[in-house]
Amino acid sequence: MDKDSFLDTNVIVYYINYQQESSTEPIYRSYIYIANKKGKFIICHAVIRELYNVMSKFATLHKEVLKKVEDSSYNFEENKNISKRDLPFAQKIYFSYKDYNTKDLKEIFASQRDIFEIGTEQFLKNKVDSQVMPMEQINLELVNKIRDIIPNYADCQILASALQYQKDKGIFLFVTADGEHLDPNGYDFLKEHFEINYPKEKYQFPELKNLYFEE
Amino acid sequence: MVNRKTAEQIKDEILSILKEEPLSIDQIRKKVESNWSTINSYLEELSKSGKVKEIISADKKKIYQRVFGDTYFDIPITDLERKKFRALFSLIMKKYKERNKTPTKTELAKAAVKVINSQSSGLAELPTVWYLYGMIPLMIANPSQNYSEEIQLEHTPKINSIIENYIQENHEKKSKQLQREQHIEYNDALYCLSDSFLDEVQKPNWDKEKIFDILNNFFIACPIDNEFQEVFWLTDRFVSTVRKLSYFDNLENHKIKILLVFDALWKFIATYKFYKTLSNQKRFLGKESLVNLYLGNALAVRKDCAQEAISDLHSIYWSKLDDREIKEHPETKKMKAIMSGWTGED
Repeated sequence: MDKDSFLDTNVIVYYINYQQESSTEPIYRSYIYIANKKGKFIICHAVIRELYNVMSKFATLHKEVLKKVEDSSYNFEENKNISKRDLPFAQKIYFSYKDYNTKDLKEIFASQRDIFEIGTEQFLKNKVDSQVMPMEQINLELVNKIRDIIPNYADCQILASALQYQKDKGIFLFVTADGEHLDPNGYDFLKEHFEINYPKEKYQFPELKNLYFEE
Repeated sequence: MVNRKTAEQIKDEILSILKEEPLSIDQIRKKVESNWSTINSYLEELSKSGKVKEIISADKKKIYQRVFGDTYFDIPITDLERKKFRALFSLIMKKYKERNKTPTKTELAKAAVKVINSQSSGLAELPTVWYLYGMIPLMIANPSQNYSEEIQLEHTPKINSIIENYIQENHEKKSKQLQREQHIEYNDALYCLSDSFLDEVQKPNWDKEKIFDILNNFFIACPIDNEFQEVFWLTDRFVSTVRKLSYFDNLENHKIKILLVFDALWKFIATYKFYKTLSNQKRFLGKESLVNLYLGNALAVRKDCAQEAISDLHSIYWSKLDDREIKEHPETKKMKAIMSGWTGED
């Protein structure tokens, strides 16, 4: 029987943004994984919240680029509305569209966000089998323990949700495409960290399926 | 022999001390030179008669504010400003009466703003704010009050001439038109776009392209303010929910709902604009009291109302959402290629 999948945010974003012509391997694998669904798809509320944060970031990115297209002296590089990680994308969008008519561009960008948001919400409504672990049920102590190893707070909340949900259940897959914090070695290290430092809790870890590193 | 203060004297002193800023019982006690329980009981008395109000109530710290009820959110102004505002309102009322007319609230407020912002009036220091319907005097303009010239304004002849010109130019205009012309005069994009949006959605047949164009511009004009991130977030949520709903249903079926949601959002944005205008004024620069004591509650309530209204609209969209394929804009492929690898995570 196929194991159920507890999905991380990036897998869903990659699935929505997939296109045949220009997708990298992790994006392609994420798309295939979701399109060829096996077992149940589980989403925690921390991921849902993160998806809505991603939508807001997308909107901010577009808004900042549009402001620069309207006024080339506008400096989105320094006002911190766009995160360092997103800045190269903003620059790429700006250079690709800076000569477009701004009225048309506003509509192009807005349509792009519509497609992204509707795709995400269609996924949540039609492809997800269970939404689990409301935010208020996330164990803060557990989040902090994970944070000893993984610096990103949102990632820690998602992983804590998976660990709490895993308790008393058959092992499911924790499916991510994170190439930075959740590589297989790092995940093993996290498991060891828990075995050594918190042996009494006896946390059961889901099986990692990291689509970023798979062949 | 020591003269003991009478109860009336102490109450007058309390009221006088509270004119300038809200204070705790302990701060009042020290200034009046009395004990905590006496001050507390007089404050309760003054509170019952509506002359002061408790604005912060913690276990051991109660903060009281003088209630004048004549400025928006009871924001304090000085006695001199109060007298100047009344004198100005009185001059405007007189000029309207010369034409056998009582001004509407909008006419009185907009004429006052016109005078205050005319350099030659000498009233530039009187505070004005952006609020629900545009720029208004911080002191509430109320045409049913009998304002008198308690003080002689320095440039009265000049002020009268500005008022006369204003009335001459605007006496036949309705409140809505006065508001809109003011938004254009001061070139505030958000207010102008709000006007255009309301115009469009009140038409019997909706021009979706035009409405979306206005919303796209509203989205751009809305500020990203790290102190009040919700202003942009909620605006974005409103715009995106209206747009998304349009893929699954005729937007005109939800006209009333969309108008109500926009109204709730606008009340939040306008309260934020009110805060921003004041916080940029010298008297409130760097003062947290503006939010903590006067506007915090209104901002929080209006944010919650906007959030709830948008969430209602989103529920309608969610109920209509199905798995149909959405036709992509021809440019979407190019954009997706640029964004390849982006996850939006921190």
